[in-house]
Amino acid sequence: MGNEKINPYKMAQAQFDKAADLLGLEPNVRELLRQPLREYQFVIPIRSVDGDVKVFKGFRVQHNDALGPCKGGIRFHPLETIDQIRALSMLMTWKCAVVDIPLGGAMGGVVCDPHTLSTKMQERLCRGWVRQMSKNIGPFTDIPEPDIMTNPQHMLWMLDEYEVLHGGRYPGAVTGKPVTVGGALGRTEATGFGVVYMLREALKKLKLKPKDTVASVQGFGNVAQHVIRLYEQLGGKVICVSCWNHHDRVAYSFRKEDGLEFKTLLSITDDFGEIDKDKARDIGCEVLPEDAWLEQEVDILIPAALEYQIAMNNVESINGRVKIIAEGANTPITDEAEAVINRMGILVIPDFISNSGGVICSYFEQVQSNSNHYWAKDEVFGKLDVKMTAAFINVCELAEKRGINLRDAAHLIGVARVAQACRERGWI
Amino acid sequence: MTEKRILYSSEILPEFDRKFFESDDIATVIGTGYLGGKASGLILMKEAVADSFKSDSKQVISVNIPRLIVLATDVFDAFMDQNNLYDMALSEAADDQIAHAFQEAKLPVDIVGDLMALISAVHSPLAIRSSSLLEDAIYEPFAGVYETKMIPNNQPDKDSRFRVLIEAVKFVYASTFAQNARQYFKALGRSLAEEKMAVIIQEVIGRPFGDLFYPHLSGVARSYNYYPTGRAKQEEGVVDLALGLGKTIVDGGLVWTYSPTYPRLAPVVGSTAELVKKTQTEFWAVNMGKPPEYDPIRETEYLIAAPLKRAEEDKTLGLLASTYRPQDDRLVTGTGPDGPRVMTFAPILADNIIPLNETIKALLKKSEAVVGSEVEIEFAVTLNTTGEITANLGFLQVRPMAVSKAEIMVLDEEMQGDKVLAASRKSLGNGVFNNIEDIVYVVPETFEAAHSRTIAHEIGLINQELTAEGRKYLLIGFGRWGSADPWLGIPVVWSQISGSSVIIEATLPKMNVELSQGSHFFHNLISFKICYIMVEHTGPGLIDWTWLESRPEKLRTQFVRHVCLEKPLTVKVDGRTGRGVILK
Repeated sequence: MGNEKINPYKMAQAQFDKAADLLGLEPNVRELLRQPLREYQFVIPIRSVDGDVKVFKGFRVQHNDALGPCKGGIRFHPLETIDQIRALSMLMTWKCAVVDIPLGGAMGGVVCDPHTLSTKMQERLCRGWVRQMSKNIGPFTDIPEPDIMTNPQHMLWMLDEYEVLHGGRYPGAVTGKPVTVGGALGRTEATGFGVVYMLREALKKLKLKPKDTVASVQGFGNVAQHVIRLYEQLGGKVICVSCWNHHDRVAYSFRKEDGLEFKTLLSITDDFGEIDKDKARDIGCEVLPEDAWLEQEVDILIPAALEYQIAMNNVESINGRVKIIAEGANTPITDEAEAVINRMGILVIPDFISNSGGVICSYFEQVQSNSNHYWAKDEVFGKLDVKMTAAFINVCELAEKRGINLRDAAHLIGVARVAQACRERGWI
Repeated sequence: MTEKRILYSSEILPEFDRKFFESDDIATVIGTGYLGGKASGLILMKEAVADSFKSDSKQVISVNIPRLIVLATDVFDAFMDQNNLYDMALSEAADDQIAHAFQEAKLPVDIVGDLMALISAVHSPLAIRSSSLLEDAIYEPFAGVYETKMIPNNQPDKDSRFRVLIEAVKFVYASTFAQNARQYFKALGRSLAEEKMAVIIQEVIGRPFGDLFYPHLSGVARSYNYYPTGRAKQEEGVVDLALGLGKTIVDGGLVWTYSPTYPRLAPVVGSTAELVKKTQTEFWAVNMGKPPEYDPIRETEYLIAAPLKRAEEDKTLGLLASTYRPQDDRLVTGTGPDGPRVMTFAPILADNIIPLNETIKALLKKSEAVVGSEVEIEFAVTLNTTGEITANLGFLQVRPMAVSKAEIMVLDEEMQGDKVLAASRKSLGNGVFNNIEDIVYVVPETFEAAHSRTIAHEIGLINQELTAEGRKYLLIGFGRWGSADPWLGIPVVWSQISGSSVIIEATLPKMNVELSQGSHFFHNLISFKICYIMVEHTGPGLIDWTWLESRPEKLRTQFVRHVCLEKPLTVKVDGRTGRGVILK
């Protein structure tokens, strides 16, 4: 498991500085872009059913909106920090820019553990968050979406509160809504499928066919499930999947040398993406320690769980056969570990293009909601694929031209586009 | 019998690249399965066409295969599996229900991006064509069973174009399970689940003329002519030409048929005035104008049948038509004088202003050499009339023909006498049959062209029953079997007569039309080894109606009678002489 002492904001700033150096950005541009434009920190008092008032800490950070309205998730997490939110909002800015969607970057959250809150309390918390932020969010300013431990129901409560406060229907004010109430078809699959679109292009680059490759995946939540599903459809074989075991409070890796079939795996998985250890043994899986997924003799590694999972303490255990790491999660590799990975000659598809399917689809939902006209799934995935593939090709071309890795190239494109927008607006 | 089957897997083509339209490649594939019969045929001909008919500026007629993108059969498999469509597709549901279910289903997520990229790069009309595993294979004659859809692809918004494209792909997929196709499988004793569909996406050959898009002419040429007339020989082949899209020919509409050895000879008819009536009066084109009523399960959603007058306004008739002069009952080549225009293609065929006939002959010869058997080819031609006249010929399809060469003798004396139920000197097919104990015939006394649709329906129901029982039968009716125009014959589709083994196409004083010579179901008749016998009431052929009337009837509908015989008929058809006889 990765290094927990990392300050994510500093890491994001260091990555930005590197891109700024490569671009030769002027000092004032750097100063503008290496910190958020706006930050909101507030408290949300919530009265529980028994009359007690609990106070929660809430955030919203709008890093930059030069390219368009801000877009970013809202997380409910007990260990949430403002620096984490700042880092993720910055990442969103570059992510939107590099995949060429007209949105800025934001991120928000509430310090809480929703598992300990009743449904009613969760609803009040959502509505409370919106009451605090309602003047500073909206379909043309800042559009929230779900993130860790928030879901379509939370989004719908938030939208409902926003619409009550603003007196109208504004379906484009929040994305990630249930499909029945203005959500976009394909949103559930988008992030995972997007990772595979990128992976497919990377394999083409390395002149490999999916059917000739083997992969190991960390995580079996929504993203990982859709990654595995589509990768398998393309002909690839997943031999190892790791996921959290709530009962044992530890993660396990499940390995089956002749391949883990997606449908079989799903049939022994609960709603939280937790694979049943005993049933896994029954279908012929070996149950291995949590980091075993990283050590497998495979062509592709897909970390699709949490941040900083590949760090200096485990990076050396990556097998020499690995050719591609496709980041399904945000920042699953630390900077130091990535330096080692680069030396190993492994192609890393960086998170902010690799997992950008989610935000692109959120953008599609915003567009559909604003026009109150909804697209068929074929159309959503067609557009998603084209957008992501184009982004991958652009990033690769720049990486080759400048002799840099894909992450730096993606950063360069993202930062350059935002800097240009700031200049054209006359901000700098 | 010459045997040939063409079927390639996707490995023969480069994988689809989103910059395909910026490259010089003419073919690419999405998916990893098979290409299907139609696409395989084109790939087989790709190099031969490129080598033999170089498209350089010195050629009066440049020949090429329009660019094609193939969705391989594995895409179809994924579509069927991911949407759980097999239950519906193999059920007894009506064609429309199946087509709707397919429209509701989603294409595999890993190919929609390629289709979106494709549609972003192309703005001209596209043909979405079936290319199934069994289609065009010699013993599995599915030619023309599955659907093709043409789309204008001219909406400025690429999302709209994408939607229409994927609707068309799903439409072609659904046609795999249409009633028509099911009857074929039943007739062959095969399971529909064996079939897999690849799809070809190809630019339509043609030019925009106002709000229509069409080629100057389309054609089907066969290197073996089952029914040669006059001096023509079977081995010399036969060509059908039509103004506009090839749908006129495929649907068995009025077209110009000629022998490539005698391109100046008109079909044999009574008079010029009669010839005028038997030539094309309307043509098919892609509708590039006002969007039609939304109907993604209709083949002709984006097509228009336009009158010849429209082509005259577009100035496309000049090199294709003749003009009828009623005062002296003759045709004048071209459209110089006023008068009814007649689609004879005389400026090209008789005056040879471009060497189209020579090119067709060369293409047939080349195709035969490459395929290794007699062939049928389809093509479309656009003319460039500014300056020196030149033409572009798009080679659209090649399929091997099943030609039976067993020697059957039908003597003159066999064609007369009490034992003869029917005899004719105009028969198609070749062989002897002794297994027919059922006769389904349209009763001449009650026949009316106005009721030909009802007659088609009644025949279809009897066919269904006989097919279910596995009984082959003799079918007798009036006018052109399979005619799209109900006033020219009985407008059956193949599935309504698929169980027949011998078909008689007859005339009556009240249905005195030029017979179809089996052209509507041509390839299928021959491949199923069905004999097709033409009997004109004016002679010299005959049908013994009195004997038929006296046979005990199994079923009588409003217009059709089904009789069962105690002993089987003997049917003999001599393919070389065209003589056919049915003995009681």
